Amino acid sequence: MTTQIEKLPYGIGRLTAGWSLLVGLLLVFISLGAYAYYRQFTEGEVVTGLRNIGTMGGATWGLYVAFVIYFVGVSFAGITVAALIRLLNLSHLRPVSRMAELLTIISLILAAFSILADLGQPLRGIVNLLRYARPQSPFFGTFTLVISGYLFASLVYFYLAGRRDAALMAQYETPFRWFYRLWAAGYQDTPAERERHRRTSFWLAIAILPLLVTAHSTLGFVFGLQIGRPAWFSALQAPAFVIMAGVSGVGLLIIIAAVLRRILNEREHLSVAVFQWLGRFLMVLILAYLYFMIVELLTSTYTGHHHEVRLTQAMLWGEYAWIYWPSVTSLLIPVVLLIRQALTHQWRIGLLVASGVLVNLAAVGKRYLIVVPSQTQGSLLPYGSGSYVPTWVEYSIVLGLFALGALLYALFMKLFPIMPIPERGGEH
Amino acid sequence: MPRYGMVIDLDRCMGCRACMEACKVENNTPMAILWMYVFRFEDGEYPNTHIWFMPRPCMHCDNAPCVKVCPVGARFKREDGLVLTDYDRCIGCRFCEVACPYGVNYFNWKDPKKNYYLDWDDEDLNRVTNGAVPPYKNPDLERRYSEERAGGGGQLRTTAGGGHYKGVIEKCTFCVHLVERGRYPACVDNCPVRALLFGDLDDPESEVSKRLKKKPHFRLLEEYGTEPRVYYVGGHPPGAETHQLEEVIARV
Repeated sequence: MTTQIEKLPYGIGRLTAGWSLLVGLLLVFISLGAYAYYRQFTEGEVVTGLRNIGTMGGATWGLYVAFVIYFVGVSFAGITVAALIRLLNLSHLRPVSRMAELLTIISLILAAFSILADLGQPLRGIVNLLRYARPQSPFFGTFTLVISGYLFASLVYFYLAGRRDAALMAQYETPFRWFYRLWAAGYQDTPAERERHRRTSFWLAIAILPLLVTAHSTLGFVFGLQIGRPAWFSALQAPAFVIMAGVSGVGLLIIIAAVLRRILNEREHLSVAVFQWLGRFLMVLILAYLYFMIVELLTSTYTGHHHEVRLTQAMLWGEYAWIYWPSVTSLLIPVVLLIRQALTHQWRIGLLVASGVLVNLAAVGKRYLIVVPSQTQGSLLPYGSGSYVPTWVEYSIVLGLFALGALLYALFMKLFPIMPIPERGGEH
Repeated sequence: MPRYGMVIDLDRCMGCRACMEACKVENNTPMAILWMYVFRFEDGEYPNTHIWFMPRPCMHCDNAPCVKVCPVGARFKREDGLVLTDYDRCIGCRFCEVACPYGVNYFNWKDPKKNYYLDWDDEDLNRVTNGAVPPYKNPDLERRYSEERAGGGGQLRTTAGGGHYKGVIEKCTFCVHLVERGRYPACVDNCPVRALLFGDLDDPESEVSKRLKKKPHFRLLEEYGTEPRVYYVGGHPPGAETHQLEEVIARV
């Protein structure tokens, strides 16, 4: 049996010391998050830094909602890249397709958990959101399209794309053979089956792309349709959400691909060409986002309406400047790095990873700036300005969610090939 | 079907905040939760200053942003115009709160029983008062009140009063439990100078209609299209340079 495990591709089943250490560390963070949530569940959200808008001078949506948007945004990368590979026939990118799809699925699960963390009555929420669902509410889109439709479509896509590898894995004597057999479900890798799979996933990819735009837009509508908060009511909100989702998602995918390349020592399959394509894609998305940012800034300040001006001042040189400027810088540095690499045709994975990290920090910052200042500095009646400082509970829960995501990723890697198993000529 | 509305006479309001007190007692709202709030403003700079007061209940908008965004229909509008929250259905997502431009929604951040001015569960307190804690609990707030849909079919919903559960949103109900019995909301009843009036806007003989006919009026943030049901007469809306007294003091 042990000899069989050693033959498995991509380190499946081999629990190395480093991996165990990582899992242990992640479990510590998850426990911290679980404890924080237990405190919040029993004592109420008074343990967070959130307070009522208006007379209480707080923000009622904070870190949790910012990370709902962030996680849903990150999910962009996976299924888009997978669908683009299928639609545009970018076969050299196939090695990243599964890690991208897995990123989508895991981040959507994390987004669902962040929504639950935000709800005052989470148990009731799970029932009532279905029982009394109202399509008029922009939240309906977030729950049905994003969490259900999008997650379901991604799972189906993921399942179909994995059947071939499951069939290959089922040839080994492993304790999880039943799992691979279940996944493969009788798949034999005959030409007819391949053709059927190719066609199914092609049409699924075509169906997923509009779903993706709609799903990220509905999340933008949660804010973009509200007149009650300055700087939210904007037609740009929905498209900007789609673009920012792409920026953070592709950025994170670059990081994950680079980490796996190092760990699995897969320099050949995960070649620089793969990163080059992702880098170019990222560059275009950041440029589009910067354009949106400038348009939005001009629109909100030019008219000089005092609510908008007060908010913009708070962002540019007031209370939120310490988040605003680092976020903008974290978008500008990557764009400069990427353009330079694109012009010189010399791509360095280290620089790409740095860009990925920076754009993700920028994404978190920008999400926070969409959610919070419009509440604390955005009262239309003269309540005065408020403040919001997240507490350890909120930080712990968010950290716990990240750890949970990483744990799911790490566990999956030890169970299933994280990259498609390459064709082996002559072995069969 | 009446079309309920409120008229607030800013010429009369003297900022005594008796309406805030009446609301708290009537609706049993926990600490720091102010369904009725009276702004105390200072405009301009010395010597051209002006101090004035503006009560702010829920506006019970006809085009209410909070009703639209509620994902479960816990926030709804009755035929007679009252915008109410079913605290048994609310999931605590607080979308209504961010959607509302007036800031009238209040979330129960912790168990309301522990958030009153006294801890009602406190053993020592119960021993001293012989179990007669809370000192006053309005029994009408536990009853259910009709949704009042045209053509019937409205269900009975739990809507009245505050401080029921942790993790739900509650707000001004125009005292639905009193209005259904033909009485005025507590704030209106308790105003010593009759600055607050309540009644049927469709009835030309009602106090509200008469006052609106006599004086020019405005509604708060009318330009946002929310169609509020609360009319202000005898004053002006707050402007860019209007600040609360507390804020002015903090600046000095």
